[in-house]
Amino acid sequence: MSTPTAPDAIYRNDEGLGIWEHRGKVAAVGVGHAPTSRRWDGRPETCVGAITIDALRKAIDDAGVAPNQIDGLVVVPVTTTGAFWEQGKPLPMDVIQSFNQTDDPLDGVAKLSAEWLLANMPELTNVQFTMYGPGCMSNALNVTAQAVGDGLTHTCLVVKSWHNFEGRYYQGGANAGDAIPGTPAITQLWGGPASYSTALQFAEYCRKYGKNHEMMAPFMENSRRNGLMFPEGYWAQHRPEKLLPEDYLASRWIAKPANLFDNDIPIMMSGAYLFSTSERAQDMKQKPVYILNHASSNTRPRSLLPTLDEVEADTARTARKIYEGAGITADDLSFENMYDGFSLFHQFHLEGLGYRGIKFGEALDFYQTDISIEGPNPVSPSGGNVGSGRSRVWMHTDCIQQLQGRAGPRQVTGVKPEVGVSGGPMPLGGNFTVWSASPD
Amino acid sequence: MTKQGVEPDSFSQPFWDAANEKRLVIQSCVDCDILQHPPTDTCRDCDSDALEWKQVSGRGKIYNYGVVHDCPVRLLQQDQPFNLAVIMLDEDPGIQMYSHLPGVPVDDVPVGAAVEVIFEPSANGQLVPEWRVIDE
Amino acid sequence: MDMVRLVRDKGFLIGSCSDRTLSGQRAIWAEHDIEVDFVVAKHMLPDVKAKFEADTYLHIGDREDLDRQYALKAGFDFLWPDEAVAHPHFKPED
Repeated sequence: MSTPTAPDAIYRNDEGLGIWEHRGKVAAVGVGHAPTSRRWDGRPETCVGAITIDALRKAIDDAGVAPNQIDGLVVVPVTTTGAFWEQGKPLPMDVIQSFNQTDDPLDGVAKLSAEWLLANMPELTNVQFTMYGPGCMSNALNVTAQAVGDGLTHTCLVVKSWHNFEGRYYQGGANAGDAIPGTPAITQLWGGPASYSTALQFAEYCRKYGKNHEMMAPFMENSRRNGLMFPEGYWAQHRPEKLLPEDYLASRWIAKPANLFDNDIPIMMSGAYLFSTSERAQDMKQKPVYILNHASSNTRPRSLLPTLDEVEADTARTARKIYEGAGITADDLSFENMYDGFSLFHQFHLEGLGYRGIKFGEALDFYQTDISIEGPNPVSPSGGNVGSGRSRVWMHTDCIQQLQGRAGPRQVTGVKPEVGVSGGPMPLGGNFTVWSASPD
Repeated sequence: MTKQGVEPDSFSQPFWDAANEKRLVIQSCVDCDILQHPPTDTCRDCDSDALEWKQVSGRGKIYNYGVVHDCPVRLLQQDQPFNLAVIMLDEDPGIQMYSHLPGVPVDDVPVGAAVEVIFEPSANGQLVPEWRVIDE
Repeated sequence: MDMVRLVRDKGFLIGSCSDRTLSGQRAIWAEHDIEVDFVVAKHMLPDVKAKFEADTYLHIGDREDLDRQYALKAGFDFLWPDEAVAHPHFKPED
């Protein structure tokens, strides 16, 4: 069995598609997370493949499903946080030989195939459907929801994992060389860090609306606070440190106006979910969380970087798609868990959604109000990547857990958790899911 | 600031050859007559593969900027912090190019100011388009 | 931490300069019951130098780009951790 990448047709990229045909008929039930770590320590039991198996088994157990009932597996094959296995570096043969291998020796170490997972999870005896959702969990969730809805699988696992090796990310390879090939040189000679594009959009935003970087501090503090109540997350597990406004504002710039904490910390992690048809989900161990819609943005900027105009047009377009397919309005959102890694674009998602009626240019003022989980307007109750490290997964886990009523100390209390939205990564180019406690 | 050297490949050769002649060229679609940058195999609008390199005036405006304090490119790290601006071309403000804005003090960038292209040698001598502020 | 206590007792002004949060740095020092003169973020050595008049300024770090270069730019001498251990400042007999 060779695993295909999800076809374009699986995504809901366009406006005007109407209510999603499988609205309320697909549900998330089980959640599984492996322990996080800052970097891989080189042991077989902590490699990205091993932690993925751990997360998948936990999701299966959480859902209370027999492994032989599972007939689908959706995987994000890319696992890098920006760290790659250097060319010529000796392969970790002790690790590789600890597992059943595929043709690619780095499978399970620096990447992940569905075939590798199935070869190392013998309990998954009935998986008939596998598919890759490229990029991140947000994408894979769209693929999974559509696949279950379309009947390609009835009980499907979906997983996203990240590996992180020694060294500073993105500083090896071409960036360390004295010369680079001509085509990438056209855009890469100038040395912008990963957060540069977002920093520029934020700079333009501040100029246009008269805002400033300091106004981000309450959002950052709130996100870390929520993250410290996320036992699956990196900061909660390893460094339970608050991020006070003083801490945030004293931090060094990476690409001004993006500072160190506006950039999420790369970690090793794996998160998995078990999806099923709503009908089958009724018999599982956890309360089903129903998918009302999935929507995507595949918009590309006109040139090097998205302008603020492009960002605002696309986040608004994305919101229209989200609401249209789910048959809801912004007023129906109990909370939002849009992506935040880089933190400086969370407000673009928020404003595009019109969350709590906020308009373009108003999100940073909104951050100065009560955005806590105890208040009526919870912002990023997951804490996102700011709160738990780079994964692009926390936002989805939180939506499921909030709507199941098992978010623990992170449970929203100022609103009744009925409908949530999550997704990303970027304002231009992302995948989004609408979750509901009820199928209707 | 000395940038990494450039090793032109077949796709980018015309861009870098023009730079060595102190000319700025931008990819243009023959079929729909729009500029696009960065260059790609096909037109982003009409998907045509009939693309050519068109010389532009080398005039533009500073659209936006950030200040890089933690650069992933080793050769540039010694020059941190440095300006990294985005230039919009006068021919088509939708087309952007990067610039370190040589001569402009760090974090004192006149957004909206007029600029013109200049060419600076990279580490291996290949000329690279850069931009300097001009009086209008 | 013993090394830090030693130089503290010898009369050096001490503190930490890190990418960790300021509150996090303070918490670490408090946990070890060590009173420090400053906690700052990684890029704030110039502020330390401006605030404290001293005969020598010394920074110990383990990163070329973010520790050594920052320190030298700020007018600090720089020691790698293994160099610091062997340095007379950190020996009781100094």
